[in-house]
Amino acid sequence: MTGIKTLADLKKKQEEVKSQINLREKAENPDAMIQVKVAMATCGIASGAKDVMEFFVEALDKRNINAVVTQTGCMGYCFAEPTVEIKMPDKEPIVFGYVDVKKADEIIESYIKQGELVDGIIPQNYDVIG
Amino acid sequence: MIDLAMHMMDIAQNSIRANAKTIAIVLNEDNKDHTLTFSVQDDGCGMNEEQVKKLADPFFTTRTTRRVGLGVPFLKMTAEQTGGSLKIISANGEGTAIEAVYRTDNPDCLPLGDLAGYLTLLLKANPGIRFRFVYRLNDETFELDSEELKQQEIDLRQAQMVAAVKEYMNENLTELFNKRSPHSFLC
Repeated sequence: MTGIKTLADLKKKQEEVKSQINLREKAENPDAMIQVKVAMATCGIASGAKDVMEFFVEALDKRNINAVVTQTGCMGYCFAEPTVEIKMPDKEPIVFGYVDVKKADEIIESYIKQGELVDGIIPQNYDVIG
Repeated sequence: MIDLAMHMMDIAQNSIRANAKTIAIVLNEDNKDHTLTFSVQDDGCGMNEEQVKKLADPFFTTRTTRRVGLGVPFLKMTAEQTGGSLKIISANGEGTAIEAVYRTDNPDCLPLGDLAGYLTLLLKANPGIRFRFVYRLNDETFELDSEELKQQEIDLRQAQMVAAVKEYMNENLTELFNKRSPHSFLC
């Protein structure tokens, strides 16, 4: 593929992507979808949250998992950044701490795919560091 | 913060929290003056005079999850350590403009970092906000407007398009950066 340099190139790419058979339905209701929220405040950014977020965007797509990846502010767990909150449909959200690309992969494979918990969960009754 | 792209994400996050509907991010590199001006302007809720004064104080924050706020103090620090400065103009209900000047003839000038990567993530995560990104180097400009992408029906919900927009930005920025003066410490 040649490089994408103009808006026309981008549009062409979009049409290519669109024309590929997409079996996944884009659910309108976000509550029915898996939500991945990457904390991206000063603390998260400085600890490398960008790489984690880029990984989630790419990996969830490649593995055909229908999810919304978005960013959020500081959740108060600055000591455990990068932190990621995962909300599975009909389940309580769970916050994972110290997430790097390797951990993110484990979260997708174990928690998102099979519902098995992995290490690094931050209990909700933790006090925030002030 | 080890590069400017991180600051960009961080400061834009402040605008998002201020409920901005449009955010303009402008980087203006001037090889004659040896400066790089990084500014973020939004139409969010703005701040009163008292809050603006306290903004560079690391122990001032409006959030409740923790009691420190380091985003703006860090930006001030990295700008000032190159001999630059930080300016904030804001009024309640009228939005905020923040402008950091870096001296590019100072070896302490931060590298730019992955501007394209951070910007595409901002665009993807905040579909309701209009982002205008401008990079000006001397007289040449690269501009990306999220509204324009929408008109071209670019859908960032698709991961492949996130990668495509990033590539589009990187291609254009790299071409622009080739015109930078060799005396600049910016990279």
